[in-house]
Amino acid sequence: METEIGDDENKEKQTGETPTSSASQSPIGRRRFLQATGAGTAVALAGCSGGGGDSGPVTLGAAYILSGFASLYGEEAERGIEFAQSRINDNGGIDGREVDVIVRDTEASGDTAIQQIRSLVQEDNVDGLFGLDSSGVAQAVAPQISQLQVPFMITHAATPFVTSPQGEHEDSVGNEYVFRDSNSLAQDVYGAARVAEELDATEWATIGPDYAFGYETWDYFQAYCDGLGVEAEFTAEQFPALATSDYTPFISSILDADPDAVLTPLWGADLTTFIGQAEDAGWFDQIDHTLFSVGMGTDYPSDGSPLPEGEYASTRYDPFVPDSETNNSFREAYYEEYGTLPTYNAEGAYRALYLYKDAIESAGSTEASALVDEFTGMEHSGPVGEYQFSETNQATVASVWGTVTYDDEWESNVLDPVNRYEAGPDVLSEALGDSDLPTGI
Amino acid sequence: MSLTSLVPLIGISDVVIGLSLGSRLFLIAVGLSLIFGVLGVLNFAHGGFYMLGAYVTLAVVSNVIDNFWIAAVVGALAVGIVGAVIEFSAIRRLYDRVDSDLDQLIVTFGFVLVIHETVRFIWGSGSYSIDPPDVFNFSVTFGGSTFNAYRLVVIGLAVAVLIGLWLFITRTYFGSLVRGTSSDREMAAMLGVDVPRLYTGVFFLGSVLAGLGGALSAPLQSTSPALGDQVIIDAFIVVVIGGLGSMSGAFVGAMLIGMMQSLGPQFISAGSIAIPFLAMVIVLLIRPEGLFGGIGE
Repeated sequence: METEIGDDENKEKQTGETPTSSASQSPIGRRRFLQATGAGTAVALAGCSGGGGDSGPVTLGAAYILSGFASLYGEEAERGIEFAQSRINDNGGIDGREVDVIVRDTEASGDTAIQQIRSLVQEDNVDGLFGLDSSGVAQAVAPQISQLQVPFMITHAATPFVTSPQGEHEDSVGNEYVFRDSNSLAQDVYGAARVAEELDATEWATIGPDYAFGYETWDYFQAYCDGLGVEAEFTAEQFPALATSDYTPFISSILDADPDAVLTPLWGADLTTFIGQAEDAGWFDQIDHTLFSVGMGTDYPSDGSPLPEGEYASTRYDPFVPDSETNNSFREAYYEEYGTLPTYNAEGAYRALYLYKDAIESAGSTEASALVDEFTGMEHSGPVGEYQFSETNQATVASVWGTVTYDDEWESNVLDPVNRYEAGPDVLSEALGDSDLPTGI
Repeated sequence: MSLTSLVPLIGISDVVIGLSLGSRLFLIAVGLSLIFGVLGVLNFAHGGFYMLGAYVTLAVVSNVIDNFWIAAVVGALAVGIVGAVIEFSAIRRLYDRVDSDLDQLIVTFGFVLVIHETVRFIWGSGSYSIDPPDVFNFSVTFGGSTFNAYRLVVIGLAVAVLIGLWLFITRTYFGSLVRGTSSDREMAAMLGVDVPRLYTGVFFLGSVLAGLGGALSAPLQSTSPALGDQVIIDAFIVVVIGGLGSMSGAFVGAMLIGMMQSLGPQFISAGSIAIPFLAMVIVLLIRPEGLFGGIGE
């Protein structure tokens, strides 16, 4: 009996021990465990050296359109990044640390952009973010940025609602983490209305992409014309889908309405397609003035139809204006490197790296909250000129509009003559008059 | 979405543009319809064939020979060969499966992705365009509105293809085999028709037509990897409206959709893209077999 009890106890002991002993007896289980631990440790260490620590490189994450109808913007931004990165790293880096930039493709989709940005923050532990080419994408991304709590410097996407504090308007998604170093649609279109003021044109039409950006451009233009007292009637509007391959029915519809002038925010390959098909349809003979609000960003890098001379276009940055030492040396060095004039997308991305450099050096840290504090209200200057971040985190850069003219020296279209319209908070607020649209600045 | 004007001005150019859009759609839809009518295969990759036709034509014009017509023929034939290879190597294996419809859909959809990514790999994701052939590259002005003369050529060629196909199907020996096989495959096989070879031939022909559509459209639109996806939806609508398997149905359906695409923007400033879908819904409700329903018409 006793023995039996003892046996039972032994059995119980044995069964109690079974899990441990079988684990230690199984070499596969242990090896896997060790591998997982090793990998986990490596990831944790990489995480520390990548972002959290104050040694090793400063890592920034960027998101641009690198494929599809607007890939040329991403390619231009990559040049600006590469150019700034090599200049910074050749001259002592950021506080003695190298700067690394990881560029991801948004595919012009809000969902993709959010995935990429989350991955940049959570897997690559980036110290800061910048980029974005599309208003629609920016609108989707901005609320996520406030959740991720990492500063984001928008360098191209133009919707005013990402620099309009949440609650100001039903579409407003601005928050303390989102900044923009390039001009907004509200600033750009203000310049368009100033051009319209000078033109002998009363009947206006638009052809823009069928999403927020197309409609916002037209809404702001009408509001500014109203606020500035421009004598204008708005007689036709067409909003074809993004990446339309054949614009002829839309072109034909505008031509039938026969306006004096047209404002078009078409962009990327869509703009190139449109220009070719508009030329075929006799557009530029029939319509007195066409204003291309995203024109110069597409014109330089595109292989296709250039903007027709004599029409009006805007840019978020002009390689010749301001005529400053900073701008001139940037233009010359960039031209020498790439053989083309810098587009605004290259300049916006280039400047984002310098904004991070200045903020990190001034704060002595890469902590997100410290960077946000530095960017808030920051005064800065670059090729685009001198500017400050407004209360809503929007750079007070000018609106630049001019006449498209081919320049033999640069073998490229340029804006000549070109006008800079100061577009600070007070100016925009006054020009918007009674409209309920936010200034975004 | 707002009304552009209460009384839209419809010019001759709007009609010409609509018919040229319809002609492009016809060339895709008739091949789609032919393949479905004879083989019973709903070929999702047909839009990809159309896109490939445009790309090959562009590539030949800019790299090999500066003659649009030769390039267009090369483009159409190249797509025909790609189609025949796909039928021979993959789709043929599915005919005898019990639930072959779903398998065919999945396999042809797989080829949509393969073609799309191959095109992106070779030509990148940007867009390309070329001018119409010089002889026809001039503007025609009619009652104040302007269109490119090349559009008339595209319309003429689409009509020629319709007539040619009709003669081919109704007046030739091969055509009678096609008709016979489409109405009773087993009986045709028992009578000695080489059905597998005939199927490959029909798939080749349908693919050539899609490639030709892409080739002829290359001067009228920008060519990008998104092209195939856009056009296959329209082609399906055309085939549903016209009647699956009907050539004349494909022609009438294509012209109707072309006109809707051209005149739609005259009535509403955005969302005119939805009009063909509405038309399809109406046809499906009132006449589910399509306007010209039936095989071999």
